[in-house]
Amino acid sequence: MNYPVWYLPEIGGSTLIALIAIVHVFVSHFAVGGGLYLVLAERKGVREQNPAVLAFTRGHSKFFLLVTMVFGGLTGVGIWFIISLVQPAGTSLLIHNFVFGWATEWVFFLVEIVALFIYFYTFDRMERRTHLIIGWIYFIAAWFSLFLINGIIDFMLTPGGWLETGNFWDGFFNPTFWPSLVFRTFVAVMMAGLYAYVTCAWQQNKDLKLAMTRFSGKWVLIALAGAVPSGFWYLSQLPLPARSLVNGASPTIGRALDWGLYAVIGILLISLIFTIIMPALHNRFIAFAVLACGLLFIGSFEWTREAARRPFVVNEVMYSNGIRKGEIDEINRQGFLASARWARMREFHEESLLETGQDLFKHQCHACHTVGGFNNDIIARTANFSYPALLSYLETIHQRRYFMPPFVGSPDEMRALATWIIAGLHGKPGEAAATPVATDGGEGPGARLFQNNCIFCHEAGLVKAKTAGWNVERVRSALDQLSALNPAMPDYAGSAAEKDRLAAYIVSLNAAGSTVPAMAEDPGETVFETHCAMCHSLVEGYNPLLPKVSGWSRDRIRTALDMLEKLQPAMPPLLASDKEKADLAAFLYEKAQGGQP
Amino acid sequence: MNPLIPTPDTIPVAWGWFEFLLLLTLPLHLVCMNMLLGFSGVSLFARLRGDETSRRLAFELARVLPFLVAFTVNFGVAPLLFNQVLYGQFLYVSSILMAAFWLAVIPLLIFAYYAIYLYDFRFRSLGRAGAVFIGLALVAILLIAFVFTNNMSLALDPARWVAYFRNASGTLLNIGDPTLFPRYLHFVVGGFAVGGLAVAVFARFWRQRDPQVAELANRIGMQTFTYLTMVQVLLGMWFLMALPREIMLIFMGRNLLATAVFVVALLLSMSVLVTGLRRQVVLTAGLAFVLVFLMAVMRDLARIAYHAPFFRAESLQVLPQYSPMVMFFVTLAAGSVCIVWMIRQVLRSLKKA
Repeated sequence: MNYPVWYLPEIGGSTLIALIAIVHVFVSHFAVGGGLYLVLAERKGVREQNPAVLAFTRGHSKFFLLVTMVFGGLTGVGIWFIISLVQPAGTSLLIHNFVFGWATEWVFFLVEIVALFIYFYTFDRMERRTHLIIGWIYFIAAWFSLFLINGIIDFMLTPGGWLETGNFWDGFFNPTFWPSLVFRTFVAVMMAGLYAYVTCAWQQNKDLKLAMTRFSGKWVLIALAGAVPSGFWYLSQLPLPARSLVNGASPTIGRALDWGLYAVIGILLISLIFTIIMPALHNRFIAFAVLACGLLFIGSFEWTREAARRPFVVNEVMYSNGIRKGEIDEINRQGFLASARWARMREFHEESLLETGQDLFKHQCHACHTVGGFNNDIIARTANFSYPALLSYLETIHQRRYFMPPFVGSPDEMRALATWIIAGLHGKPGEAAATPVATDGGEGPGARLFQNNCIFCHEAGLVKAKTAGWNVERVRSALDQLSALNPAMPDYAGSAAEKDRLAAYIVSLNAAGSTVPAMAEDPGETVFETHCAMCHSLVEGYNPLLPKVSGWSRDRIRTALDMLEKLQPAMPPLLASDKEKADLAAFLYEKAQGGQP
Repeated sequence: MNPLIPTPDTIPVAWGWFEFLLLLTLPLHLVCMNMLLGFSGVSLFARLRGDETSRRLAFELARVLPFLVAFTVNFGVAPLLFNQVLYGQFLYVSSILMAAFWLAVIPLLIFAYYAIYLYDFRFRSLGRAGAVFIGLALVAILLIAFVFTNNMSLALDPARWVAYFRNASGTLLNIGDPTLFPRYLHFVVGGFAVGGLAVAVFARFWRQRDPQVAELANRIGMQTFTYLTMVQVLLGMWFLMALPREIMLIFMGRNLLATAVFVVALLLSMSVLVTGLRRQVVLTAGLAFVLVFLMAVMRDLARIAYHAPFFRAESLQVLPQYSPMVMFFVTLAAGSVCIVWMIRQVLRSLKKA
């Protein structure tokens, strides 16, 4: 909002962050643990007076230098670049609060670089003891760079006492600092072993290959034994919303954790079999397979950590789209366009609904959603929505799906966003069908009021069916508190005279001679649209529901509606009345039977 | 006030600290960057020449190149960090406007780094084909410099930011800015000049081991330096003339400090030309080092003048927290001691050998 949005409709900046971050973290943990591996392998060679082990260590240090210093170092700068491009407000917040944390980390990088160059270029040319000390200096500097960045990364997930004090140290030593540090240290040691498998696989000397493969296997297994419990410790320190997302409320995290589990099993089995039990069988293919498991493991962890923070980029402070939680009320009052520096229009104009809607998408949704891309595609996610359903969804989006930030802005702006998605992306009837230009459905002031205010969500036929048998007093009093009829319905802000005219028009729909056909309405369908359609289609498209209840009795469906969250932790409980649930069960049962009740 | 400039965040210590750290670290980056350009350029030139001494010179330079990439990047991180603290609201915006190019810096750098390592580690086996690798690395580095010039100049001029409303896909450049090309050439040609001078300085380390290479390095290095410095003076004038009048005038008497620095820098440029033509390598290098610092200061004063109509770093709100800065300085001191100790160990083991 404060910054322009890099608009890559089909790729999405978040995908780029994920790609760069995962490969960087995969290498940077190696950069930390690998330092320890080098000194301990060198010490092993010295103690055993084994020149082959020393030669192995020297060769490994070249591989280490080329992977960590070049690729690891530059992808690290890459993360910094990409987060400032995609999350400029969040990056700015972090930089301004933790600049000296980063500056200190930079000093450790400098020491790391000097130490690693010296370690590599003076191998076998420097007195052994001093050379080992240089190796230790490298490892200690690398671990301290982890120590520092760990504080800043975990601050984003759990800002802790900083929320009250704004104090550097409260934010740095936040509630997940220590578990995360211990976990990452174990992961770094494990990565060192995994990367060493590669150097082992290239050894010609059989005895050496066997010895170093076993040595590396022990590293991996011991580190894994430490990483798993510290990982659980880390999870246990997450705040409640994040923990519930990790525990199943977020289907993407659930999938990521599954993959992480497969990766751990892969690392465990391959290490046990090919490095401990039968190290002679270790080869290049195995080395890369287990490295791939390592990448998967890191990817799963990073994805989970990032996703568990949703809808925030800094928990409880700033949403993923760069809007601060504290400024929402003000923006809602002023309107988003008036608050956003980088929107094309700074005022709302009815005739620019689509452009405004696209700008709102860019600024509020594009941080996570692509348009037609493979990651979180807004077109697929809204395929089942009608315009009214989307509008009603946007109103309570954060309440319905905690990990989505609330829509911020005026009701007009919300209409613009819904119109862009429904009419602009899907080509379905949206807001345009309700503009004052369209006059079908009646003449007179009441009809016009209906067109301008109601038809966004209801066609006249639907309202006719809903109000059949109502007298004008009942309609008129309903107009005074529409939200009491349905919490998703905004109250009508017209004057008393306008309400009178509107009530007269609505009653006239059911009067003899009305040309508006009553729309046969299934109350269950309305419940479906209000509560289910944001995640489910009926038959085709996104997550179809009917195949899931195929062959179920109406009672079984009805019972299931009371315990959705138990059936599937990703599903929120159905917040509907007993009658609505009964209607929905009947509707789904009927549809599953092919439309026959 | 330009409505597009984002509201800046608060800073933890007085802005002067960041300005000081920025001006302290940026010249270190510039020196490394200049050496990277000069060493790559001279190494490529020597590799393309047929004679054996040139080949050996190309190799000596190739062996230094990986260090130069590493330190150019490392010393680039610190000023970029301090720049973001003071001027992030400008730099983030300009970066986003040209995001695709800005992000391309990373793959270009990775490519250049690996090409340089190949050139170094496989110098013998690659033979003259090595020229392709160092040549491509040099092209990548020059492209990176061009991206940086675009971004840094775009960050100065919020009036150009409205281009975003025509193109939000991050593929804008700042081509329309009349200072872009003189600025780019000023940095790059100056970089090759100072880099050439650094080659001549390094020649002193090779005098014992390979006098022929040392002599050649000294000659090529100093020639590169003096000729390019002559060109550089002209480019500097072009750059100055291309600046908006209000900015140019600060160096022409309107601002005392800016004018003083400019005059001293101009005198220093003349001096290094004279000492360069006389082949006084160490003196020239010392003066050139000071000159790089002065250029960084001038660059900073120009930025302040550019921003003057809508922003002053003094106006940033300070919510004081000095203890993290103390941590930084203590770590910097300890790190420096550690680095000096390590380098002494290397020198000791070299002596023994």
